[in-house]
Amino acid sequence: MDVLLVTFLRALAFGTPLLWAALGEIVAERSGVVNLGVEGMMLLGAFFAFATAQLTGFPALGLGVAALVGGAAALVHAVVCVRLRGNQYVSGLALGMVGVGIAGLLGRGWEGTPLRTPLPELSWLTLSGLVLSGVVWVFLYHSRWGIILRSVGESPAAADAQGVQVFLVRYLAVGFGGLTAGIAGGFLSVAYRPSWTEGMTAGMGWIAIAITVFSGWDPLRAVAGSLLFGALFHLSFRLQGFVAPELLKMAPYLGTILVLTVATARRGAWWQEVPEALGAPYVRGER
Amino acid sequence: MRRFAWALVVLLVAGLAVGGVAQPRKLKAGWIYVGPIGDYGWTHAHDVGRRIAGKTLPWLETTYVEKVPEGQVEAFIDRLVRAGAKVIFTTSFGYMDGTLSAARRHPDILFAHCSGFKRASNVATYMADFYQVYYLNGLMAGALTRTGKVGYVGAFPIPEVKRHISAFALGVRATNPRATVHVRWIYEWFNPAAAKEATEALIAEGADVFAFTEDSPTVVQVAAQKGLPSFGHYSPMYRFAPQHIVSGQLVHWQKIYIDFLRKVYDGTYTPRNLQNVDYWWLLAEGAVELGAQPGMPVNPVFRPRLEAVKVRVSGIGTVSVYDLVLRRLREMSQSPPAFDPFTGPIYDRNGKLRVPAGRRMTVQELTTMEWAAPGIVGPWPKEPK
Repeated sequence: MDVLLVTFLRALAFGTPLLWAALGEIVAERSGVVNLGVEGMMLLGAFFAFATAQLTGFPALGLGVAALVGGAAALVHAVVCVRLRGNQYVSGLALGMVGVGIAGLLGRGWEGTPLRTPLPELSWLTLSGLVLSGVVWVFLYHSRWGIILRSVGESPAAADAQGVQVFLVRYLAVGFGGLTAGIAGGFLSVAYRPSWTEGMTAGMGWIAIAITVFSGWDPLRAVAGSLLFGALFHLSFRLQGFVAPELLKMAPYLGTILVLTVATARRGAWWQEVPEALGAPYVRGER
Repeated sequence: MRRFAWALVVLLVAGLAVGGVAQPRKLKAGWIYVGPIGDYGWTHAHDVGRRIAGKTLPWLETTYVEKVPEGQVEAFIDRLVRAGAKVIFTTSFGYMDGTLSAARRHPDILFAHCSGFKRASNVATYMADFYQVYYLNGLMAGALTRTGKVGYVGAFPIPEVKRHISAFALGVRATNPRATVHVRWIYEWFNPAAAKEATEALIAEGADVFAFTEDSPTVVQVAAQKGLPSFGHYSPMYRFAPQHIVSGQLVHWQKIYIDFLRKVYDGTYTPRNLQNVDYWWLLAEGAVELGAQPGMPVNPVFRPRLEAVKVRVSGIGTVSVYDLVLRRLREMSQSPPAFDPFTGPIYDRNGKLRVPAGRRMTVQELTTMEWAAPGIVGPWPKEPK
């Protein structure tokens, strides 16, 4: 088959979980909350999707359970960061590690087991990822709710003064991020590699966070970012005969640094600014 | 009366002492693992070996720690020593220097380091190596490929993996002189996504038979989805693709563990005489096995296809690949082996003579080999000119 076509299809397959995870992180960060626990939420999603699909024979049900588990995990993070005003970075990292640990522990008996009823790699889920990014884009930039969400991430105090329920918005945004991260992980274990293996995300959560930054918190650019990373991942094996594999292994990360450098240099024009209040807990009545 | 009392005391003490000796003596051994015991690869296999040793040797008590970062091995060794371990196995190449340093601080403890080359009076080395088994798998892969392209997903380009790929390629060429082995490196021992994508890349380039070094059954499963045959690695992977897995390599670390611990228990090994103790155990010692699951050297599904391919082999004549595999397996299972794949003349892929005619490679040469056998296609870091 044509190299370009194969690369595009592989980019779609590997890019789908990256896109789902990145879209959720974009929404969460737009509300001002960083969640570095994507890797852990994805792994929890991967495990619960696999276990549910294996037991019931319905991968779609598995994805549903993965979404709920991812969302629940994210809400723990939200409670710590929004209500208890804990450090978002510490809480996210902790969530990530706990998620990896719990999924590994629960999955002991399933290690390496292939899924009985896998979904095809390229399916409605791939398509719905693309649709979802359009929906999130319209939501963020062309809906009242999107303006409210963004205002909470830019200036929670101002939003609060306008009568916006800052805490509620942040809970919902972080929860949505967990939901999509759970589905992203579920996609890995029921479609991309239909089986369960401990630690099977192997750093994809971090790439999703990189895509979030790379995209300038824009859902449509996240599509481009996910496809680019997917293509680079595939090409890093295709091109091994021509380019040193050590270099190719670094390509996605070098690409991120390069894009960030260019984007930062042209700040404002091409690349969106970081949400102003990102990472800062909101305390009512303080400035 | 007093004398009688003394005699009684003496008898009592003597009796206790004798009784104490007659009590079954225990030996505690600890294992340090680099990965999780659920990894289905390297650490899993060592842990299976530990458990079998514990069941086989009634006087043995075992303990382990998993996921120990290579730089922190010394702290975990100290922990096992405090917990009473008299023998400690460190099961990753990267533990080498840490093990030697800890061994100097604990001169009365016996250490065995897996896959390393540094020893001391209380540090032995050991390895169960696959190169013979890889050669046998190569014979089958060469017979099964229709496109003439065999795919190999490699973890890290280190001598151990290179030796295995070269042995595999020598086997492939022995049954299919025009076939090539296409190698892709993932630079990780465990990364299912990378193993999957590397397999997809090889499939896109026309490879139709697969072998690999990575600690998950990913390559087997991805190949099976496309209906392509593959060879399992390390653990029994037959159940993951019973219609598509041809064979593979299996390890039995317990063979080494049980031998080593018995010799510690009976006093043959002491913390003062391990300087020259190096286990390099292969098929003949039963430390490794051909197959995708124990007791099944070749998946019966593939027997007809392997019997249908006939090859001419010097010294044997015309023989089916199936018979050739079983014959070579028998020859290499003898002690000493009647056949070795790394017997000269062997040229590397650049045409340079690496092993002169009639000579076999030594263990030292095998453990440090960096060159690639003919037929290997793809990047080969540190390839000698």
